[in-house]
Amino acid sequence: MWRTWTQSEKRMGLILILPTLITILVIAIWPVLRSFWISLYDVELNNPAKTEIHHSYGIDMEKFVNIFPLLTKNLDESSAKADPQTKQQLEEIKRKAEQLKAVLDGNPQFSRQYKQVDDILFDGQSVPDDLKIFKLDKAQADKVTGEMKVIRQQLAEMTEAHQLTDNTLAGLSNGLTESLIQPNFVGLKYYEKLLTGGRLWASLTNTMIFTVVSVGLELVLGLMIALVVNRSFRGRGLVRAAVLIPWAIPTVISALMWKFMFDGQNGIMAKFFAQIGLVSDMGLLLTTKWGSMFAVIFADVWKTTPFMSLLLLAGLQMIPESLYEAAAVDGASKVQQFFRITLPQLKSTILVSLLFRTLDAFRVFDLVYVLTGGGPANSTETISIYAYKTMFAQMDFGRGSALSVIVFICVAIISMIFVKLLGSDLISDGQGK
Amino acid sequence: MKKKRTGFLFYLFITAMLIVILFPFFWQFIASVKPPLELFGDRAFNFIPQHPTFDNYVRVFTERPFAIYLWNSLVVSIFTTLYCILIASFASYAIARLQFKGKTVILGLILAVSMFPQIATIAPIFLFMQEMNLTNSYLGLIIPYTTFALPLSVWNLTSFYRKIPADLEEAAKMDGANIMQTFWRVVFPLAVPGTFTTAILTFIAAWNEFLFALTINTDENMKTVPVGIALFQGQYTIPWGEIAAASVMVTIPLVVMVLIFQRRIIAGITAGAVKE
Repeated sequence: MWRTWTQSEKRMGLILILPTLITILVIAIWPVLRSFWISLYDVELNNPAKTEIHHSYGIDMEKFVNIFPLLTKNLDESSAKADPQTKQQLEEIKRKAEQLKAVLDGNPQFSRQYKQVDDILFDGQSVPDDLKIFKLDKAQADKVTGEMKVIRQQLAEMTEAHQLTDNTLAGLSNGLTESLIQPNFVGLKYYEKLLTGGRLWASLTNTMIFTVVSVGLELVLGLMIALVVNRSFRGRGLVRAAVLIPWAIPTVISALMWKFMFDGQNGIMAKFFAQIGLVSDMGLLLTTKWGSMFAVIFADVWKTTPFMSLLLLAGLQMIPESLYEAAAVDGASKVQQFFRITLPQLKSTILVSLLFRTLDAFRVFDLVYVLTGGGPANSTETISIYAYKTMFAQMDFGRGSALSVIVFICVAIISMIFVKLLGSDLISDGQGK
Repeated sequence: MKKKRTGFLFYLFITAMLIVILFPFFWQFIASVKPPLELFGDRAFNFIPQHPTFDNYVRVFTERPFAIYLWNSLVVSIFTTLYCILIASFASYAIARLQFKGKTVILGLILAVSMFPQIATIAPIFLFMQEMNLTNSYLGLIIPYTTFALPLSVWNLTSFYRKIPADLEEAAKMDGANIMQTFWRVVFPLAVPGTFTTAILTFIAAWNEFLFALTINTDENMKTVPVGIALFQGQYTIPWGEIAAASVMVTIPLVVMVLIFQRRIIAGITAGAVKE
């Protein structure tokens, strides 16, 4: 019986952990690696030719099949009602377009795929992935691009010269050019640009200032509260519950509460700070760089100090009372006791809470997004906000991914420093007990 | 617990602390029962509303899809919690109790993942959801929510499982129970309180999540509470009255939960950080 247990233990252990392991690999590890991959490509969701990663030249068949017949049809129609000179030009362009198609049709595979896609689109169905793109080699691609650009150029000039009644033809030729896909591998270009540009360093500095100041304040205040509250008193349960509330509410809600109270005209805290002389004018809080930074840090300290003090309190309660008694017998003062007993005994708790809080603060997003939006003039823009804006406001996923990889690397460095300080304390699996 | 003199200064400190912690909630409540005119101008600083009204609470439901936001948040948070707790229970039991190779590495990996910045995973997850047509769906949030909810669950549950005395398990082994039988009949019932605590923490984390919800579910009918409230728009000004009313309604259930389960919650959040 014992032997079957130990044998099956190894197998069962792996089976039991498998769902968790797979989930984590698929939804956390893979995306991080993929982020790095995307950051090497010029992926822009608002640029139709760059919505995904392309390794080679090609033609977006869906687009080409949709536009090409429209273009030739439109050329015919326009030349039918045009004056002789324009007519001649349009016919010339049409010849070029047909020549272009003929070049492509020279490859029987192209005409086959063209027909297939045409049928699918005619039936109103979506084009399967393997038919979406027709691959070209660089020489072909260059040739086709060249011809398409000539057509586009001529039509644009004719529109400019009012030879054409509207810009339908120019638009169609533009669409045709966009059906050409180029490989969008850019290598480490984004990293180079980001690291040499100012905005990354500005946002990193903001993030560091926010992290160091708020986590520092939280540690000092949290330790103070923990030391004071570490005793039995009436209403202890109530105080503990109250302390938990800021931690429990969504960051977005606390950010909105503070935004309301820091408002330059109607905010009660802004008025209060102005009255006690902390700021010279209540409007300064959310409209100046340091005012906004102060507001963001203040809101963060308010929300997370209670949490910090709970962690530290739990650590304090683990310190054996006998240590203090012995110290008191030896005549050590309260201050000596604090530095000789409390701090050393609390070291690992402090480091663990600092680790969690530092990482949380470093990736801050919700609070800044809601309270200042990164403003005024990017002065409270943290690195996560910068990455978010690049990806979801500018739709520039390549550059945004490079930024998020940079955030990841920073977080990894911070964790490694802490893990080094903590030693094996963090992941001890309890076997030593 | 130390017995110290609890004097006047001590209670002064506690009172000051409570005022700092609770004042924003109090102010939020006052704002929520003020009519719009009293939110601006001189009367903005009045502690007692002259014409208290529940209009803001009504408007949040009649003129905004707040009920839908609540439902969406509830569905997403519950399913995230259930899925994570289920698979995390197996994993935590294995990590805490069974001997097998690579255990420490796996636990380290899980801990590392809990430190991943969300922004580093969002682009591929967003593109994937878009490709699978999962944006603006419940699954579109439940899947990415596991990135933070699962490590949290495993981390907490493991520390709870380690505290369960091993004697009963040994007895079950002797009686010839296999590992799964031991888990379901002996260990899991003993871990119910810890599982429940972990479920509360996981639920709160999922309920409060913002970045994924903001980017993946942008449709008005699929937004969650935090995103919905953050994006409340007024015609000319920020609708502070309605934001306050909505915030109060979100805060009250959390306060009730905290009051009831405070001991468990504190045990949960300190479990991973404090070594015994």
